[in-house]
Amino acid sequence: MAEPSSINIPVVFSTQTQYPLPSQKFMIPSTWRRYQLSQLINKALSLVSPIPFDFLISGDLLRTSIHDWCSEHGIAEEETLNIEYIQSVLPPQKTSELPHDDWVSAVSSKFPGFFLTASYDGYLRAFDYSQQTVIEQLVHQGPITSLCVIPVESQEAATRLIATSSLDLTCRISKVGLTNNEHSFDPQASLHLHTAPVSSISCNASGTQLLTSSWDSLIGLFDTTIPDVDEIDLEQEEGTTRKKRRKLGSEPTRGKRKAPISVLKSHTARVSKAVFGGENSAVSCGFDSTVRAWDLDHGVCTNTITSSDKAFLDLVCPSGNSAITASMDRSINLFDFRSSSTIASALSLKQVSTPSCLAVSPVYGQAEQQVVSGGYDGAARIWDLRSTKLPVATFFGWEDAGDKKILGVDWTKDVIALGGERGMAIWRVSGGESQ
Amino acid sequence: MVGTKKRKQLADDAPPAHIAPTSTNGTATMDLPSDDEDDAAIPDDEDAPVEEFPELDDRSDDDEEDPESDDIEHATDSNEENELDEEEYQTTDSEGDDSIHPFPRAKTIVSDITGVPKRVYPEIEPDYDSDSSTEDAPNRVGNVPMHWYDDLPHVGYSIDGKKVLRPARGDELDRFLSTVEDPSAWTSAFDKTAQTDRPLTAEELDIIRRLHANEVTDANYDPYEPTVEWFTGKGKEEIMPLSAAPEPKRRWVPSKWEKKKVMKIVRLIRAGKIIPHKPKASSHLPQFHNIWSSTSDSSAIALIPAPKPPLPTNAESYNPPEEYLPTQAEREAWEALDPEDREKDYLPQKYSSLRLVPAYEQFIKQRFNRQLDIYLAPRIQRKKLNIDPETLIPKLPSPNSLRPFPLYRSLRTTYGKGKARCMSVSPDGGWVVCGYEDGVVRLWETGVGREVKRWSFGGEKVEAVEWCPRGDVSFFVVGVGQNIHFIVPPFLPPSTFTLTKTLLAPPTLPPAPAVPSPVKWVSKYKDSTSTVTSESTAPTGYDVSKPILTLELPPGSSAARQISWHRKGDYFASVSNQPGGSNQGALWIHQLSRRHSQAPFKTMKGSVQLVLFHPTKPHFFVATQRYIRIYNLAEQKLLKTLMPGIRWISSMDVHPLGDHLIVGGYDKKLCWFDLELSDKPYKILRYHTRAIRSLHFHPTYPLFASSSDDGSIQIFHARVYNDLMTDPLIVPLKILRGHDVTEGLGVLGVRWVRGLPWLVSAGADGTVAVWCN
Repeated sequence: MAEPSSINIPVVFSTQTQYPLPSQKFMIPSTWRRYQLSQLINKALSLVSPIPFDFLISGDLLRTSIHDWCSEHGIAEEETLNIEYIQSVLPPQKTSELPHDDWVSAVSSKFPGFFLTASYDGYLRAFDYSQQTVIEQLVHQGPITSLCVIPVESQEAATRLIATSSLDLTCRISKVGLTNNEHSFDPQASLHLHTAPVSSISCNASGTQLLTSSWDSLIGLFDTTIPDVDEIDLEQEEGTTRKKRRKLGSEPTRGKRKAPISVLKSHTARVSKAVFGGENSAVSCGFDSTVRAWDLDHGVCTNTITSSDKAFLDLVCPSGNSAITASMDRSINLFDFRSSSTIASALSLKQVSTPSCLAVSPVYGQAEQQVVSGGYDGAARIWDLRSTKLPVATFFGWEDAGDKKILGVDWTKDVIALGGERGMAIWRVSGGESQ
Repeated sequence: MVGTKKRKQLADDAPPAHIAPTSTNGTATMDLPSDDEDDAAIPDDEDAPVEEFPELDDRSDDDEEDPESDDIEHATDSNEENELDEEEYQTTDSEGDDSIHPFPRAKTIVSDITGVPKRVYPEIEPDYDSDSSTEDAPNRVGNVPMHWYDDLPHVGYSIDGKKVLRPARGDELDRFLSTVEDPSAWTSAFDKTAQTDRPLTAEELDIIRRLHANEVTDANYDPYEPTVEWFTGKGKEEIMPLSAAPEPKRRWVPSKWEKKKVMKIVRLIRAGKIIPHKPKASSHLPQFHNIWSSTSDSSAIALIPAPKPPLPTNAESYNPPEEYLPTQAEREAWEALDPEDREKDYLPQKYSSLRLVPAYEQFIKQRFNRQLDIYLAPRIQRKKLNIDPETLIPKLPSPNSLRPFPLYRSLRTTYGKGKARCMSVSPDGGWVVCGYEDGVVRLWETGVGREVKRWSFGGEKVEAVEWCPRGDVSFFVVGVGQNIHFIVPPFLPPSTFTLTKTLLAPPTLPPAPAVPSPVKWVSKYKDSTSTVTSESTAPTGYDVSKPILTLELPPGSSAARQISWHRKGDYFASVSNQPGGSNQGALWIHQLSRRHSQAPFKTMKGSVQLVLFHPTKPHFFVATQRYIRIYNLAEQKLLKTLMPGIRWISSMDVHPLGDHLIVGGYDKKLCWFDLELSDKPYKILRYHTRAIRSLHFHPTYPLFASSSDDGSIQIFHARVYNDLMTDPLIVPLKILRGHDVTEGLGVLGVRWVRGLPWLVSAGADGTVAVWCN
């Protein structure tokens, strides 16, 4: 080291957070690391409570000293560096653990004040923040594969519609009313389209439409209105005799049968996830190694990105133009639909085990950069897409996790909820303050 | 005096000896040796005896009573005989010399007529002297054997007819004395005709001497005569022909016989029997090689270059730096050492200029030592095999270029008790069913591994589990003990379920076959009883925890060990004998649509291990312990017997295209058969360290997997070409480890997931794992 401490580097700070610095040039010793820079920002802003920041130099997360970063990227130390700072993600803190009898396949913390879990035993469970089980209701005959809370206009509404999908080929919409005292569960409708286990269900931001994806390579588009009458005749659908009817009593009441608005057909193998993208568009991925974008108005596939031998397991769509996928070949990939090529050209994050589920950061402006993934090795990892080598944070959902799989993850505000073999775990992430 | 008497006698007997010297007296020159000169009575000047001696000789010959000789005889009484004898000896000896010419000498005179010198011999006088034979040969008996006269007093007759009396011979003593006394006794020879000793003449002695000296006997012959050019030489050239005869024809006509001879050789040359200018096959001359020459001859000894002498160092310079120069102490120490012990064989020396450097005194010695080293030190030339080790490795494509294939274990399910014996993946790849030793069959989702359903069969080993390969129906068969159960999985779409139910539990059973089979088909499901609803029954009216149909093998047969489906899903075969056991009732082919079971073979050779249906043809593979027989079921005949050379076959799978078969054995071998090609394996792979347990071809990807008791699974790329000329490409890709070896058993089963490069493996450690790319 050729006396790096004597070298000062001109630096200009910028930020998109709520803590902007005046635009001026700082002379900073090149040996400084993130910690010193963060202290500098805190002092410059004279914040009451220190807020840790992370620093991005030309879109790259600073993990070493500035000098090392400059020498690594071949940048002369005389050049002025533009450093953007973001609120850093501190190592998450475990807050609670909610054990289940069976594996938890999906979790949701979108219901304010409560956690919802869907389990392989077919039950939908709701917990309040004091870890009390408030609802435990059998929804499906088979294991529930996914769960989604249909958003409503008012945040304070105590009754919401919850859509679930299951391996028993059906999806259901249930009305769940949760207040501090009263809990109600009311099956509303069942969605009938698929002839194979349904792998996922998701709804759009306005809460008017649902997308289901299934092993039979179909994607169904449903609306969330509850019909007054059955839209599908059971006899016609099942083609069996009326004797079946008698057993209706034994199964969970399922409400009215709903038919899809449209069916999206283009996948050639199992569809593992379908989510809403931008306006009237959807993105789906499947075992046929493709990520497809759909125009929901016309029900056609508008874009297909083919990768090689990736069986996609999960997909999140932080914006209408890109999709982050988790695939069975231990990689998390970011696909950009704006690029003209249909071949996968994306950055990928190598994992040590199969990533089974993904959730993006709810922090505004960071949704495209930060993503949490849950893996089959029991570890959840927070990734910053600007720093692809190592995860920002790694935490194990449960102690002595072994290879207890994480199957579902949800990130709302500063809470990351993990669902897996051991049940549910809730972790709190600081810095995830939503606007 | 005996001596005198002898001498008289001798003088009488040898008159010719006197004549000859006298006749040549004038020219005779005596050349006595100087040594004997001293012994002579008169020592004189060198010239004097030569002139006087002949006189003395003459006198001694003529007159016996030479006073001088007498004086000498008397004076030297005791030595008389010896001296005389010696003297005589000397005399006669000198007479036999070359200078003495007993024959008349030729004179060379210049001829008056021709003017050239010519040799003139003295005239021969034709008197008695000229022929001594006529003169005294008193005995005229002629050439008759003289022993005729042995008994007679005479020895013959004279010319006058008178008897010639036998001369007195004397006794041995006299003879001895005569040899002692008579100086000429040793030059005398016995004359048979005269029956007495006669002294040899000078001519005879000369001939004897010449014979003895290996000379020409003729004293007159001069071997060094100048040549006389009679016909050649100047002026004597023959210019005229000797004969006027015309030249014969043969002088100018080419010889016919020569031509014939030449043509014979030419024909032989053309026929190649004679090779002209042919180098001699083996030269008797020794072959020499210049062992230091740089040209390498192939027949010569391989030349090994001599090691290079070390380059001179600074110390060897004529003007070395000062620090190299030895001090006085060092110099003395160096000189005190023996030459062999010296570290270096020179002392650095400094010269102010190169001109002053003397000749190097060690030069010859060093050169000689070096030559000696080169000559005597054995050297070998090591030929390095310049083989790139990469070239020895067969050219196989890189595994990275053959993706996808399973790389890691994505998940595994553990079910504490019992080994996972068998396992099967549903045709759509979504479900895995695995059977355990404690009679439990579990169904779980491939991607997640969560068990969704479990069936228990009362503790009996589940030995075989197979999904029906049909796409429109969904069920699997489980071999437990003597029963084969048909089980319908949950979560079926209604249409599929209905079809499955109709297939397995039809409302109207097909007519029973004419020949009743010992295998019983028992349907537990009764459509009528399904009206009875209970909590545990599914909405589809069937208790999924119970098999919908059960096949009961005839009592006494062993547990069904292997079940193999036909591709179309109507037939399946079951093998139910113990390993190495009898074949009685071991092999059954069951037909689902007719609900009929039959044993395809009345008798079987060997103990059946495995059976397999061909994917496209009506062929049936039956593996016994060592052989695999291929039967045509339609024509009911044996097509082929494959001999893998495996002691005990453990597993077998056929390529989805049907032309290739892989066979694994308990002796670690894996054989690849090209069924079109041969009864022998196309390739034998020995990669596992323990017995191979299971093999499976991927239905769509060009992959196959083998599992072994060593706890490893090996993935191979196996590309089969439609082109018959191209051999299949088999590339080992990956060894997957992760299963534990329990009680000597490793991975008991491997199955591929259709449509995905995923592998499911069942291990003896009770875990079932999914391996993903």
